[in-house]
Amino acid sequence: MSDLVTIDWPVLAPALAPAAGVVVVLVGDAALPRRGGGRWALPVAAVVLLLGALAAAAAAVGAGAQTLRTLCLPAPDGACLWTAGPRTSTLQAGILLAAAAALALLHDGRPRPRDRAVSATLLLAATTGGVAVAAASDLGSWLVALELATVPAVALVALRGSRAAAHGALTLLVTSLVSFALLVLGAALWLTATGDATFSADTVALAWADPQRRAVLVLAVTLLVAGLGFKLSLVPFHAWTPQAYATTDLGTAVFLAAASKLAAVAALLVPVAAIVGAGLDAPALVVLLGVPAVASLGLGTVVALRQTDPVRLLAWSTIAQAGWIVVPLTALDAPALRAAAAYALVYAAATTVAFAAVARTGARTLEDHRGLLRRDPLAGGALGLALLVLAGLPPGVVGLVVKVLALAPPVNAGVWPVVAAGVVAVVVGIAVYLRWFTVLLSGSGDRPAASPAGPVVSQRATRVVLVVGSAGLVLASALPTLLLDLLS
Amino acid sequence: MVMSLLLALPGAVGLWLVTGGRGLPVRPARWVAAATAAATLVLAVVVVALGSSVDRPWLPELGMRWSFGLDGISVPLVLLTATIGLLVAAHAWAEMPTGGSPATFLGCLLLVEAGALATFAARDAVLFFVAFEVVLVPMWLLVGRYGDDHDPRARADAAHRFVLYTAVGSTTMLLGILLLLARAGTSDLRALADGAGGALGGGTQLAVAALLVLGLAVKVPVFPFHTWLPPAHTTAPTAGSVLLAAVLLKMGTYGLVRLPVATVPDGFTRLAPVLAVAGTVGIVWGALVCLVERDLKRLIAYSSVAHMGFVVLALASGSETGLQAALYANVAHGAVSALLFVVVGGLKQRWGSVDLTVPRPALRETSPRLGFVLLLGLAASLGLPGLAGFWGEFLAVYAAWDPAPERSRALFVACAVAAAVGAALAAAYALRVAGIVWAGDRPDPEVATTPDTSGVERVVLGVLAVAVVGLGVAPMVLLGTTADAVARIGGGP
Repeated sequence: MSDLVTIDWPVLAPALAPAAGVVVVLVGDAALPRRGGGRWALPVAAVVLLLGALAAAAAAVGAGAQTLRTLCLPAPDGACLWTAGPRTSTLQAGILLAAAAALALLHDGRPRPRDRAVSATLLLAATTGGVAVAAASDLGSWLVALELATVPAVALVALRGSRAAAHGALTLLVTSLVSFALLVLGAALWLTATGDATFSADTVALAWADPQRRAVLVLAVTLLVAGLGFKLSLVPFHAWTPQAYATTDLGTAVFLAAASKLAAVAALLVPVAAIVGAGLDAPALVVLLGVPAVASLGLGTVVALRQTDPVRLLAWSTIAQAGWIVVPLTALDAPALRAAAAYALVYAAATTVAFAAVARTGARTLEDHRGLLRRDPLAGGALGLALLVLAGLPPGVVGLVVKVLALAPPVNAGVWPVVAAGVVAVVVGIAVYLRWFTVLLSGSGDRPAASPAGPVVSQRATRVVLVVGSAGLVLASALPTLLLDLLS
Repeated sequence: MVMSLLLALPGAVGLWLVTGGRGLPVRPARWVAAATAAATLVLAVVVVALGSSVDRPWLPELGMRWSFGLDGISVPLVLLTATIGLLVAAHAWAEMPTGGSPATFLGCLLLVEAGALATFAARDAVLFFVAFEVVLVPMWLLVGRYGDDHDPRARADAAHRFVLYTAVGSTTMLLGILLLLARAGTSDLRALADGAGGALGGGTQLAVAALLVLGLAVKVPVFPFHTWLPPAHTTAPTAGSVLLAAVLLKMGTYGLVRLPVATVPDGFTRLAPVLAVAGTVGIVWGALVCLVERDLKRLIAYSSVAHMGFVVLALASGSETGLQAALYANVAHGAVSALLFVVVGGLKQRWGSVDLTVPRPALRETSPRLGFVLLLGLAASLGLPGLAGFWGEFLAVYAAWDPAPERSRALFVACAVAAAVGAALAAAYALRVAGIVWAGDRPDPEVATTPDTSGVERVVLGVLAVAVVGLGVAPMVLLGTTADAVARIGGGP
């Protein structure tokens, strides 16, 4: 067995930790179903996720610039099924931390006791998939891991049990089935074009040199982008996003908005990295990536401008920010990969903090946040910082830095339509987030009397998310190079 | 070291006042802000005297350094910013706008000052952009929260207009900077000015210059991108108006000198005629609006558009005289507009509005000191020889009359003539205002008289008045400071 495949367990730790967590929770629930009313499941899952994040972060920092490989096949050319450079490891750490934040919000959302173990299992399983897809370098594990990252998330949405949640889950399920079909077809075409079951730059370059195989490869990339577009909420594959966010609980919404998005970005970077490595001059691929990016920037920001429900606003902002993540990729060069990863991580952190603040206040409309900064400085301050980071305005310097990084590759490569859309999106985006920010700041004198009286139940876990998340944003704003070093 | 402290002190205290110290009562908050602003001014003087600078890697991925330092072009602006910073902090004793906590208001003033200082001291193009963005949110707060409390909707509109216009401009400028960075391979402004930028091809230079000029033109503002300025000025509290006119607008013109003029001279040369025409239209348009405008604050804002037109025209002329004129007019406008906005803000506070159609008793009789300073400001604004405004306008028209060789002489002469006409119109509107406000109606014994300046307001006005007269009497002090740096940028062949 060990002759066939080499296995380096520590390298696999980021994915093994949540997978082991699934086993622990399931076995524990089966053996002691009534113990503590299932209260232990969520903390155990949180510990496991943090351990995994620690392992991933250690890999990102400790490995230097080298790539960790394992699950390598001996013959004929020694392809490795698990390849994790610093960028991948950092994204994995981000996925695990975002999942832990989602868990914290789930916990404070008071799930029914019988749901706790199930929620923990589903969340851990989806996280395992997300972590694995980031490092997968062959078509098979990439597809399986991607599906593992998606299906449990659908179940999480459905778990709420309400009619609206079931409807949202059904939309999400249909969407993800369609997207899986597209991805499988895309993977098959990729295999046809390159004759290689791994995402490798060399075979992409060979396939590109042959006009017939090039056409197949372009078709393959089209399908892969479309399939991932669903997961990333790129326009025109975005329709499920606002509905799913609004109908599910906030913990699941954070998982979809942060952890799941990071997993989708990591998955997208795998084929794109192969294309970038081949050094192609490929206007067709630029169009393939550029059109959804521009459409997401435009539609996402404009629709977000009209929203009054904070969750729906964040959903549309997710769509716009997904466009931002793809903007640098249109340049198809190496700095673009880092820019996309950096943007995704900053977006995920800011969105998580914003959701946590919404969860803490229980606000249903933006007006409920009137004067929040004065009433609840922790939630108000954290939310304000998150909004400024999303808008890219100092003092949220890190949001500005990743926007600069995201615009630099397309400017360098001369992809001007995408750049122009970016400029418009910056300005409209500022209007979107400042609209909410204004409400936070304004005096609470004319606050509607019927607004929620604030947290009644203890919300310690949410508070931890708020504090840790905003501390991370502050640190990254003061020293953006800390974040970028992890991705180089 | 001192350089870092100069930027960190107002930034840190400002941030603290906005966040942790938000609940500070007005008395200690005022002292904290004033002491910080005074210390910043001292630090600025020390930095200028010692020539301190800081340079360390910040974002190695972008080849970007945390590099701040001063040269002849930035020294006057840094001193101007630090002085104005102290004056607006002191002005809090004369006027403390409602709308939020006083500590936040003062913190925002300090943050704007910190951002402006960083902008003027940045020696890296991307860092310049980041510093440029720092002032956005605090200024937005100053206009949107602490502005004129008569009409909340107009206030929100003015604040949003300010942020969104500036964001359009700065993002466009960012594209220019990124293109420059991609093509020239460095974002160090000194290396770019020393030839790394000038070595680029003509097409690239034109594209970079077009993006930079377009972006910065919004900030300056150059006609037709000026429409955000009058509402922002009308709405902002006095301190905000002063910062906006005396510091923020300067960031635009300073950016024009630092970025397109210094780094891509050939590209800028090709754009110069457009810029000259836009500047000239701004001069005439601003003056014409001032002839009919009813709101005094808005009138001063439009006169700012006209004055910035002179700066832009001088820059476009491309000669060394032109650059000198632009830098001089820049600083002079800082002093003059600050003076006028303090006076007009004081009048607005006393009268409730500054509508010129409302008959009011003559200022020269009810409050002679205020009346005198207003007259001085108006005289400087119309370019009376011996006051600050004169040299900037005179040299700008002179530079346009004799532009750098590769520019169309006929066009620039036409612009110079139109600008001179604009200067004459400026005399007309200045006299109109003086006639209405200063000479005014006979005092009515039944109407309460306007209280004259007192306390801190008097000191602030006194400092500004001395600056206006000093700049006018001894222009060589300022022109000598900028001369070397201007010669290095080259200002044409």
